[in-house]
Amino acid sequence: MKGFALIIFAALFFPGVILRAKSIVSGRKGPGIFQPLKDLNLLFRKDSVFSSTSSIIFQIAPTIGLASVICAMLMIPFADEPAFFNFDSDFVYFSYLLAAGKFFLIISALDTGSGFEGMGANREALFSMLVEPAFFILLATLAMFTGYTSFSDIFTRFYITQSDFVLIFSILGAYLFIQIAMIENSRFPIDDPKTHLELTMIHEVMILDNCGFDKALIHVSSYLKFAVYGSIIYNLSVPADWNIYLQISLFVIIQFVFAVIIGLLESFRARNKMGKNPHFILTLTAVSFIAFVIIIIITGKIA
Amino acid sequence: MTNYLTVMFAITIVYLAITERFAVYARLLGIQGFILFGITLSELHKVSIGDLLFVSSETLFFKGIVVPYMITRIIKSTNVVKVANDTLSGFYELLFIIISLLISIFMAYTLKNPYINTVFLTIAFFTMFSGLIIIVTHRLIISHLIGFLVLENSVFIFSIAVGNEMPMLINIGTLLDIFVGVLILGFFGMKLKPNIDELTTLKD
Repeated sequence: MKGFALIIFAALFFPGVILRAKSIVSGRKGPGIFQPLKDLNLLFRKDSVFSSTSSIIFQIAPTIGLASVICAMLMIPFADEPAFFNFDSDFVYFSYLLAAGKFFLIISALDTGSGFEGMGANREALFSMLVEPAFFILLATLAMFTGYTSFSDIFTRFYITQSDFVLIFSILGAYLFIQIAMIENSRFPIDDPKTHLELTMIHEVMILDNCGFDKALIHVSSYLKFAVYGSIIYNLSVPADWNIYLQISLFVIIQFVFAVIIGLLESFRARNKMGKNPHFILTLTAVSFIAFVIIIIITGKIA
Repeated sequence: MTNYLTVMFAITIVYLAITERFAVYARLLGIQGFILFGITLSELHKVSIGDLLFVSSETLFFKGIVVPYMITRIIKSTNVVKVANDTLSGFYELLFIIISLLISIFMAYTLKNPYINTVFLTIAFFTMFSGLIIIVTHRLIISHLIGFLVLENSVFIFSIAVGNEMPMLINIGTLLDIFVGVLILGFFGMKLKPNIDELTTLKD
């Protein structure tokens, strides 16, 4: 459960670090590192308001979204300690747990009957669908590379393989997981969380009707999801058999660097045109496919 | 080292398929030139030192510096900065590229033998298909030129795949380089159809 606690710890500071990185880079004084937590505190103290046209789905969706992310957190190992839920092909379950949370948010957006939210839900569903092959091809590559199909086994044995390709797969994996995390959390270059025009929004327009406590739950889910992906990147970057104190320090450093990278990317990168987003996401699939082809060649799976 | 360079080369092909600005094409071709230079140095250990020096310096000079520079000059002199609007969408082009990668690996395994490096052969087929896809899906003649340069890089990788056993093939690849240099010089030096409309309509 060390990994679970560390993910929660990282999630507390993740949005603050992103904000601070963006402020420093743009030369602003900007909000403090605890500002997102203060905003969350404010939202948690407010009541939710539900439209009379919405049903129970709208009321339960944020809770289900958060529950799905917490369950997914329990499937991420830390160092050589296996995850709380650990079984063969658990990465498929992990992916569909997150997808289930997203599915409920999408149908809750449709439940409001708002045209804007329907549009946002449509875009979110499309981009999530397009990023799915990249995630699965990458995990399939790692599974073939190590010969195991559960997160715990894959990450524990990743560095034991002693293959020349370890560094290639860890770099490609880290790059792809950063991009997948950005897409899954609706950040740059796919979406801009700070935009004020509904027509250009994706995730923000989908949760326009949520407020108070429910909105706080959605934000918490997003922060936790970032920390979960950061944890996957950490597992891919650090051998599992290192000293535990070193592992904890490296976990914190990697999560911090991950948040700073997101802040820098959001500062220096322009948002994609909406029509360019599918190309961008498919590029990730193509890159992960190259990694897959290499693993097919080095393991001699086809002959 | 070769493994890293090969993967990087394959990734540049993916980005070539989706980019729309010719300046980025020129930059990616330059990067490919430098990657091929690295692959040449690390792979051709059985050829004579003279051949190795000639091939590696030619790769670095032509592919890494001269060709990207010439393309950049052509872009500046013709003011054609982006691919035509009616070009096939990058999304579908990328789908074709992914399918071509799948076909490449099957073709490479069909031709598998102890004398040919399968990774090189796969990437060479992949590069060849990518060059062909760029040529048939784009309308501007500069795009066709870039597609041809990608094809030419694929021939070079083919030659490296069998280079230690058949060094003559590398010289043929080098000859193709020089031919491309002359082609671009003709295109650039003679100011062949600098007008955008003519560039659009000039297909053959």
